[in-house]
Amino acid sequence: MNMTRRELLGAAAAGAVLTSCGKSAAPAKLVRHFPVSNVSITKAPAYDMSIYDTIYRIVSDHKLNVRGKRIVLKPNLVEFEPGTVINTHPMVTHATYEAFRKLGAAEVKIAEGPGHRRATLDLAEAAGYFATVPKFEESFTDLNLDEVAKRNIPGPVSKLKSLYLPHTVLDCDLLVSLPKMKTHHWAGATLSMKNLFGLVPGGVYGWPKNVLHWAGIAQSIVDLHHLFPRQFAIVDGIVGMEGNGPIQGTPKQAGVLVAGSDVAAVDATCCRIMGIDPAKIEYLQLARGEENLGETAFHQVGESLHTVRTPFHLIDPWKEMISL
Amino acid sequence: MFDWTDRQNNDGGWAYRKGCSWTEPTAFVLLAQTAAGICAGAQRASGPCAGKDQRAFEAGLKYLFSVQRPDGGWSPQTGVAESTWVTALVAMLPEEAIGAERMKSALTWLEGQTGRESTWSYKLQQMIAGNRDRFPDGWPWFPGAAAWVIPTSLGILAFERALQRADSRRLRNRVNSGREFLIAHMCADGGWNHGGNHALGRDGDSYPETTGIALTALRGDTDPRVIARAKSAARRHLASCRTAEGIAWLRIGLAAHGEIVPAPLATLPRTTVDAALIKLADSHPGKNPLLI
Repeated sequence: MNMTRRELLGAAAAGAVLTSCGKSAAPAKLVRHFPVSNVSITKAPAYDMSIYDTIYRIVSDHKLNVRGKRIVLKPNLVEFEPGTVINTHPMVTHATYEAFRKLGAAEVKIAEGPGHRRATLDLAEAAGYFATVPKFEESFTDLNLDEVAKRNIPGPVSKLKSLYLPHTVLDCDLLVSLPKMKTHHWAGATLSMKNLFGLVPGGVYGWPKNVLHWAGIAQSIVDLHHLFPRQFAIVDGIVGMEGNGPIQGTPKQAGVLVAGSDVAAVDATCCRIMGIDPAKIEYLQLARGEENLGETAFHQVGESLHTVRTPFHLIDPWKEMISL
Repeated sequence: MFDWTDRQNNDGGWAYRKGCSWTEPTAFVLLAQTAAGICAGAQRASGPCAGKDQRAFEAGLKYLFSVQRPDGGWSPQTGVAESTWVTALVAMLPEEAIGAERMKSALTWLEGQTGRESTWSYKLQQMIAGNRDRFPDGWPWFPGAAAWVIPTSLGILAFERALQRADSRRLRNRVNSGREFLIAHMCADGGWNHGGNHALGRDGDSYPETTGIALTALRGDTDPRVIARAKSAARRHLASCRTAEGIAWLRIGLAAHGEIVPAPLATLPRTTVDAALIKLADSHPGKNPLLI
């Protein structure tokens, strides 16, 4: 890579010169405590019909109260490239859709607002969603073009004070993040929390959703996370992406699905599977504090971490900065 | 085929697919109707323009008039209390349709918009980090964010139309600066993506729609070598692109440089904007408001 760690830190320091203007002292460190939450790790070796049963069991085991509820599934749709692992596999999304329906949800919608491409339905078609999900268009909402309402961010971590957000996600009872397990050249790793960038409407903020970058990527991830307190996540780590993710990386078979209601805990667990120290991922630090990201901070159920650990290749300078 | 009038909301605007009216689809339908010969301004009262298309056009204009913001710009939809990039689309409509005063305030708002990288604080930050790049003024999608290829291209096209009505050094400077921005953000493959042409030592790939839009905005006195590379990228994209929006913009972009290309395949318009773009791409370049 042409950008060295020194350059990356230099750019960050230059930003800090400006962003720290007017601040007199660093705030005192706040020690926070989180209830120990369940994170399930389930082996899933391939995208085949067994996924439907596997995901049904995952959702059932987490004992979510979904009967009569409105559920929104948020996969990660990014690019058209055929034969790559950029997007959440449609079978994972469809199996989750079927699981929630079977468990009595009143309504299950699939919704996404891609950050790069405007032709969302064409992108979904290229990613195999039309072929996999029957009557896909009827259950799908393009969040980039949905009606919006303004929401103030309580105690923002980023420079944002408010965001326009789509009605579809504001009105749901449970938001289910369905990301792909990928490395990310700006954030280190992109998982359930980073996937929430797709909730921000391109029709208002444009493509890419640059207001979030200016407000601080990690900080905006945390603010979005706080705006949606009722979440669940299932991370598609059957085949993830390593290297220069989230677009130009290479496939990496991890053979797992990682799930839970505490999505920061889910992401921290995914990081450990990927060989990444979650305490070094800025948005996880901000969301939970370093002291709440240790291996014993969550109750891991299903497979143990060491049996599924699959170190992902990290590009420089991330390799040096975040490897376990 | 899309029937504009069937899809028009009661308030006169159009949705992307269904639901509330948005400025972008409304402006694109009106641009497509303009290309199809719907009359605007003085001709409206009499003459050959009549019927439901004309009434739809008038209702669409009325919608736009009703939602113009006090600062002169337009927001993407009425739920958003901020003028944004869509103002450039409205400013591409014929002045006789919009009205001179509304057009003037729209152009003034657009003129006041630049990407965040144009600010002195950002330039200072970059200087401290050792970046000696120039930062030509483009346009952002949303006030306070960086400039990107699509809003910059649309800003150029809106100002080009204004310059045809009356010359202005200020607007000409913004057009030149916007073109410089586009050239600086060209991808190594000769096309454009949203503007991130290089990150962490890797070249970014261009997209069909952004390549077509930028090529359209570079019509005029741009370096012919740049245009030749961009046209070549556009032709490559056209051979593989499957989206209505991408194909339409590529055809418009090539037509802007004298290359009329039929649609390589019939595409499904997913949104009102897609349908309007197909109409614009199919229209005679002499009547296409994006190319006049």
